[in-house]
Amino acid sequence: MSDDVQAVPVHDVITVGAGPAALTAAIYTTREDIETLLFERGVIGGLAAVTDKIDNYPGFFEGIEGLTLADNLQKQAERFGAVIEFGEVTALRDEGEFKVLETTSGTMKARAVLIATGSDYKKIGVPGELEFYGRGVHYCATCDGAFYRDKTLVVVGGGNSAIQEAMFLTRFTTHIDLLVRSTIKASDVLQQDLQKYVDDGKITVHLGVATDEIVGENNSVTKVLATKTETGEKLEFTPDGVFVFVGLLPNSQFLKDTPIELDEVGLVLSNEDLQTNMPGVFVAGDIRSGATMQVASAVGEGATAALKIREYLEDRKHPVQN
Amino acid sequence: MPKKVTIFTTNTCGYCQMVKKYLGAKGVGYEEVNLDLFPHRQAEALSLSGALTVPVTVVTKHDDSQEVIVGYNLAKLAPAVA
Repeated sequence: MSDDVQAVPVHDVITVGAGPAALTAAIYTTREDIETLLFERGVIGGLAAVTDKIDNYPGFFEGIEGLTLADNLQKQAERFGAVIEFGEVTALRDEGEFKVLETTSGTMKARAVLIATGSDYKKIGVPGELEFYGRGVHYCATCDGAFYRDKTLVVVGGGNSAIQEAMFLTRFTTHIDLLVRSTIKASDVLQQDLQKYVDDGKITVHLGVATDEIVGENNSVTKVLATKTETGEKLEFTPDGVFVFVGLLPNSQFLKDTPIELDEVGLVLSNEDLQTNMPGVFVAGDIRSGATMQVASAVGEGATAALKIREYLEDRKHPVQN
Repeated sequence: MPKKVTIFTTNTCGYCQMVKKYLGAKGVGYEEVNLDLFPHRQAEALSLSGALTVPVTVVTKHDDSQEVIVGYNLAKLAPAVA
């Protein structure tokens, strides 16, 4: 903490979130003696930390477990002096030199703020989904996959996460029906990997199939009702459980009453310096409008944001005299 | 500080690691029940939490009342173990 104004703690930089983008930014800022506090309401490392294996992060030729990567990023940031605090930022406002953050630990001020709150998994929004959450419906394969040893599953989704997590779940299950509303959007490499599981009979892919309802009784899922989108044909699956990976929901709810501009899906708009329309407030990672939702990109954006924050702070320390 | 804390986990669960890290940082001791190693205790976790998911943290207070926290929910976990 660098000084104290009206008993409100003042920091050089506060990051909202402690995923790969924020941790990377903190490595860069703290290494240059810019005091940095990371505020995290969930998991350090974000969604990357609960991903079984990250195969496309450069430098790890055999891939790396998400949790290990997150742990390493945290240790690296803390080695240079970054401080991580658990809690939630509920509001953010501009007071000129200082940005004021209302948090579950009280009011704080920062000279610069990095929004790096990432995203959470979306829900499908069908009957039975919420009712059977944790009793047959799950969103975290690495957490709950082990409960489906020698059982069958339905996995809903066709993006990178759905394919990756379906393949992870085959280590427990006897068979997975993968329900994809349209076509598979996952990367070519993941699709090639998926083909091996299809050839082995571990996964059956159902393209153009919309999930309609999750049905269950006595604390467990009994069937999944679906429709072929082209023909209207009704389908019924009888898995022991359902895992849902149908896209991401931006964690930008805390910004809805601020002047910070969001795009139509709730991602934060920024300029080429990754600065939002509120001076001194930057954005990086999955929460940024235009982000590619890759860990490697988030890390790169975190580094860029840190360098731009340094420039911003330097400009205010040594303003150009006209 | 609670009388006893038990966490139900699985091997690959990232959120479970976060609960353990949080308790460790706060100096709160806990017993871990790894459901990969002890699958026969799944029913116990389900009956305590109403959900077959992990982490499930059971905080036993000094009056022997219990608070059950499903997932990595700091808003509930932090006051429960304070």
